Amino acid sequence: MSARLLIVDDSNIIRNHIARLMGDPRLPSIEVVGLAGDGIKAVDLAKKTSPNLITMDLTMPNMDGEACIEQISKILPDARILVVSALSDKSTALRAITKGAHGFLQKPFTDESMVQSLLELMS
Amino acid sequence: MNYRALNPEDIQVFSEAISTFFERMTRQPAKVRTAYMLDQPEAIIWNDFNGVIHVSGGFRGTVCFSAPRGLLLEVLSAMGETEESPGNFLDVAGEIANILSGRARRHFGEALDIAPPVSCERDGTEIAKVAAGPAFAIPHTWGPYEANLVVHLDLIQRR
Repeated sequence: MSARLLIVDDSNIIRNHIARLMGDPRLPSIEVVGLAGDGIKAVDLAKKTSPNLITMDLTMPNMDGEACIEQISKILPDARILVVSALSDKSTALRAITKGAHGFLQKPFTDESMVQSLLELMS
Repeated sequence: MNYRALNPEDIQVFSEAISTFFERMTRQPAKVRTAYMLDQPEAIIWNDFNGVIHVSGGFRGTVCFSAPRGLLLEVLSAMGETEESPGNFLDVAGEIANILSGRARRHFGEALDIAPPVSCERDGTEIAKVAAGPAFAIPHTWGPYEANLVVHLDLIQRR
């Protein structure tokens, strides 16, 4: 069964960039089931599409990433969440992990680092 | 509450963030030049596209990344984005401002509370002046392009 990915980021170009990487031959089959520009839309899409893999920005309008991780972790406790954020201090990363994230990738990311992070998250 | 202006060590954090961004994103380093103080910090909408981050928490002020269309086009291309729309230029300008501000949290800590970016074109909305201290421009060259990061922040005075 292929992974089902929800991409959450307030930047359209970052969402598209991550979505394009899903065609990378190093990755197993990953279906992009949704793109969300804020936390509220992400929670809504998580309910509707049941992703098992999520990339999550932290700094977003309406509902930030931390609150979103907390809510989605309750709805989909088995979903693996990779935080993809510009915030680079350790306490932010630790707090995201505490809320339910499974990995942290700092922006700007390279294609290689994104592929590697997703592989680690799915292993 | 007592605030202080940025010092050279604080400015250096942003200069290093610029270097790291271009090196990692495009594998082509930027030449970051010496920061200088602006006489009129209101006039920070300089270039074709501008990404602005409002900062709060233990700080007050703005961080603005200001760049020409050509530079942003090449960054978009490095990200695999082929659509040359004003929306994408505004998006990437905001994202770069976000990344440079986020990286500064390594130095300033999580008290540097960063809002989602607000972007505008050259003649866009004037950025409200929030900080009372001086603003600093950090000019940098990437390939043939000249861009600026304008940091206008006050920090809570540490006792």
